[in-house]
Amino acid sequence: MYQPPRLNRSGMHVIGCTRLTKRFGPVAAVSELDLDVAAGQVYGFLGPNGAGKTTTIRMLLGLIAPTAGQARLLGRTLPDPRAVAQTGSMIEEPAFYPWLSRRQNLQVLAATGGGCAEAEFGRVRGLTGLSEVAGRKVRTYSQGMRQRLGLAAAMLGRPPLLIIDEPTNGLDPAGIRQIRGLLRDLAADGTTVFMSSHLLAEVEQVCDRVAVIARGRLVEEGPPAGLGATRRRIRVQITAADTQAAGRLLARWAARQLDGGQFLVEHDSGQDVNAALVAGGVIAESVTAELPRLEDRFLEIVDQEEDGHVVAAEG
Amino acid sequence: MLWLLKAEARKLIRPLVWGTALAIVAFCLLLTWAAAHNACAAMASPKIPDICARAATAQCRQVIAHAQAAARAAAAVTGQLAQPGHIGQVAARMLASLPGLLLIAMIAGGHWGGEWGSRTIRQLLCREGRRGRVLAAKWLSIWVVGVATMLACWLALAAAAPVIAAAAGLPRAHTAWWSGLGWSASAAGRAIVVLGLFAAVGTAASTIGKGQLATTAVTAGSMLLALLVADIAGIGRLSPATYVQAWMGFAPAGYLPTNFWSRFVSGGQHLGALAGLAGVLAGLAGVLAGLAGVLAAAAVAAVIAGWRFAKDVTA
Repeated sequence: MYQPPRLNRSGMHVIGCTRLTKRFGPVAAVSELDLDVAAGQVYGFLGPNGAGKTTTIRMLLGLIAPTAGQARLLGRTLPDPRAVAQTGSMIEEPAFYPWLSRRQNLQVLAATGGGCAEAEFGRVRGLTGLSEVAGRKVRTYSQGMRQRLGLAAAMLGRPPLLIIDEPTNGLDPAGIRQIRGLLRDLAADGTTVFMSSHLLAEVEQVCDRVAVIARGRLVEEGPPAGLGATRRRIRVQITAADTQAAGRLLARWAARQLDGGQFLVEHDSGQDVNAALVAGGVIAESVTAELPRLEDRFLEIVDQEEDGHVVAAEG
Repeated sequence: MLWLLKAEARKLIRPLVWGTALAIVAFCLLLTWAAAHNACAAMASPKIPDICARAATAQCRQVIAHAQAAARAAAAVTGQLAQPGHIGQVAARMLASLPGLLLIAMIAGGHWGGEWGSRTIRQLLCREGRRGRVLAAKWLSIWVVGVATMLACWLALAAAAPVIAAAAGLPRAHTAWWSGLGWSASAAGRAIVVLGLFAAVGTAASTIGKGQLATTAVTAGSMLLALLVADIAGIGRLSPATYVQAWMGFAPAGYLPTNFWSRFVSGGQHLGALAGLAGVLAGLAGVLAGLAGVLAAAAVAAVIAGWRFAKDVTA
């Protein structure tokens, strides 16, 4: 029975991509991607639909070959089936053999990878909160149960690296919280988690670092809090009668008018904004300083990338 | 490799596999039952020319006697073949012809092509990235199902055929039950090689079809095409179907239809068993080597399959 080696947290990069590129005909799905993921991190991989996230994950798992560039997994240069075999993975919607039960599916997957101890099946079932339904075929499972089973399958054999696509897809709020805690526990135990997700609030809470890709290119990388514009913004609530006047007074900064008499001002001092309004005879109902959420910064980065692409195309 | 084979064996325990195998066994039993009744009916009323049915000349009496003797002999042969030792030939030759091909096409479609259809191919290749091993395990497991079905068919016929023969009123065979065991073992040994060829074609077809129905259609279609080509003068001897015919030496046996192959192939007998074996093995090696991207005319499809399989898995 194979027991994968435990990696220490000495800063070794468990995933490394150098100018990784994948083209499908004339379309570059991933373009010269450079990425390093250190051991023991929970690493978020973000991007809009069609950005190249799943293509990158498929290349890392050896399912498709890169057109150019190089990828390293657990210290081995890909393609290397041994590195992929040591990696727990769940890509897109998890798929199973519908005529088999949960336990039989896990046994088949474990045997395919060289087998694992009998106790492992109980351990991963407990970790993912899968209820014990003896002999029930997987074809009768709900999406949430399949998702939990996918995570259980990925964790079989205690792999040092987990690559998971949308881990909380289809889970209820309690399930999402449970998986969030599980991912943090795994990282604390030395497992590196590389996850892609569209739930940015989840990513913000659970990830040590994030990378944003758009149109196949890496556009931002770093801790979630430091991603993109980190300036504070001022949210101002104005009564309906003063909206027009407030719009004129706030025009000196980059300000956006939102629904319900709200303005979002790109400035870091609430005092300045309030003073300008008072000087113009407008009394705000509330002036609140806020840090942009990861979701806002993500959308900002993606919008900038899209705009840049359009300008480049027009130029 | 043993772990992988264990996983493949577990996946084969499913309704599709035992349902198809049972259908083949039932088909063989039905044919035996029909053959026994046809033999009895022919014995009771042998085919006599109309002119002799009316005239009672000495010549006609001779013709009638000949016809009755021929019908009794054919019934005796049928009765003898219906004994447990001999009946293995029916099972072996059935499985080495169209019923066996259909079985393998169905199993290959569900067991290998279905991995794409149910999207479990990604799980499989993420756990065992050595694709040569995966192909070998699939080929072996499909082959084993074919051989197991042949043995199950032999067992079922051995149990049921003597009862069917007695119930139909066939002349009692004055031989021991094990009589003809050697002939049956020889036919079974030959059939195992042919089933290996069918399994290799099915494995190759799966990597091209990438789906259950497509795999079944390509497997059955390619061998049916080989049967059609076998009857074309000049190129017929190059067809794998001709080599199967020569290797198996399909021949009529009383009223029992022992195969569904020889009626489509007029050539093949003159090649001899050794040439047939060489052809079957060459075909087998050709398909296998083709999957590695190396060899052979019959493996042109398999070369494409191997190339596509190695390049992308876009399940």
